[in-house]
Amino acid sequence: MRLNLVLELLDVPGQLLDALNPIGRLGANIVAIIHQRDVKTERGTIPVQITIEGDKETLDKVLESIEESGIQIIQVDGVLRKEKVTTVLIGNIVDQDVKDTVDILNQLEGVMVADLDLKMSDQPERSASKIIIEAEYGRKKDVMRKLKELGSLKGFLVINEV
Amino acid sequence: MRICIIGLGAVGQGVAQVFAMKRERIKKDYGLDLNLVAAADSRGAAICGDGLDPRLLLETKRNSGKVANYPEYGVPGISSLEVLDGVEYDCLVEVTPTNIEDGEPARSHMLKAMKNGKSVVTSNKGPLSLFFRELVGTAQNNDVEFKFEASVGGAMPIINFAHETLSGCEIKSVYGILNGTTNYILSRMAKEGSPYYQTLNEAQELGIAETNPSQDVDGIDAACKVVILANSIMKRDVTYKDVDVEGISRITPESIALAQKEGYLIKLIGEASPDSLEVSPRLVREGSPFSVDGTMNVATLKTDLADDVTVVGRGAGSIETASAILSDLISIWKARG
Repeated sequence: MRLNLVLELLDVPGQLLDALNPIGRLGANIVAIIHQRDVKTERGTIPVQITIEGDKETLDKVLESIEESGIQIIQVDGVLRKEKVTTVLIGNIVDQDVKDTVDILNQLEGVMVADLDLKMSDQPERSASKIIIEAEYGRKKDVMRKLKELGSLKGFLVINEV
Repeated sequence: MRICIIGLGAVGQGVAQVFAMKRERIKKDYGLDLNLVAAADSRGAAICGDGLDPRLLLETKRNSGKVANYPEYGVPGISSLEVLDGVEYDCLVEVTPTNIEDGEPARSHMLKAMKNGKSVVTSNKGPLSLFFRELVGTAQNNDVEFKFEASVGGAMPIINFAHETLSGCEIKSVYGILNGTTNYILSRMAKEGSPYYQTLNEAQELGIAETNPSQDVDGIDAACKVVILANSIMKRDVTYKDVDVEGISRITPESIALAQKEGYLIKLIGEASPDSLEVSPRLVREGSPFSVDGTMNVATLKTDLADDVTVVGRGAGSIETASAILSDLISIWKARG
């Protein structure tokens, strides 16, 4: 059987090689690779499309192995494996412990804070922060609900996606 | 059709103006004669069974501030309830200011008209968002028409659109930018990076925001519309108190800049869905149907058969809102003959 994958690689040397290594090692074949280094996602990562071939057991091991090496598989046969949740918070996030905020989100199953951007204001309670969260497919609503809870707990205005 | 207007603010004057512009055309196209037999404001009325001249009515109201100065047919000091008792009419156009505390005096006007067997058309969000079931029930019990397209989104078609054009579909949820003033403020802040209070002041100087902007910027107006949509097109039974409301006064230029970096805009969104009834600032994709500028309104209806349907239109303005009232009058005429 064949699988079409979309991986997300960091723009550092050796990433593509790391991603391809388990495919050959575990006995699967590479049918096609589309890798355009100058096409980037909003986070600066590079999406790579790979088609691999092998029996189901081998392919399952390949997927596992790729993920273990810390490389994100964002699509399998056109199905998104991760959803991105973007949110903007307004409030005194520094005073309210940035690390704690991130930890609360990371503790949710299948959820990871992927990016955090702060813009300070001369009035601290008017500072803004943007958080990008990656969640397993189908978890988006849970994450948005958790963000709202976090907002009322810490006095942030939470601006979620529609 | 003999029509009685109560309330001659921006919307009421818009209705009179539209009558003046369209009376001949509508008589020709639909056989409907828009015969304005009474017009009342808070200080009196003008009453004439043979029909008032809408142009003269507007002139009187603009020049003297009260309709009771209408030549020959002015009645100073008469209350609007007395007008409803004393005048022979077929349809009430209730366009007094929205009162979100107790829905009065509009609620009493509408109930009285319905109980007297008259149809009602309104743009008034107060009674609709507090006493929706009572009003709809009273209309049904008295076998009269009750239409309120103008209460949500001004000229943007949504309520009749959902009921008639999408009549075979179940409306699962509605998301929308339902308040033009806040959309204007947020659009300007995004374009110019200006702070909230400065932008609000500019909007007030331009007459887009009111001197007391609370109804708009605190999300109250949008919340009323969410209630009306939930009740009328999603068959819910909710009131204003069931809506989680957050306005735009805490939005900063910094937060808008961060959102824009990621390809988003911040808009005040009303949501009526099975999970939630809320008004809050939300992130919308730049380039999506929700990225409208200025005072425009937009709403997406999520349906079972037709998937997403999005409507856009002018959310305010006296003539624009009057256009929705006129459509309601014509559809009552078509239904009742």
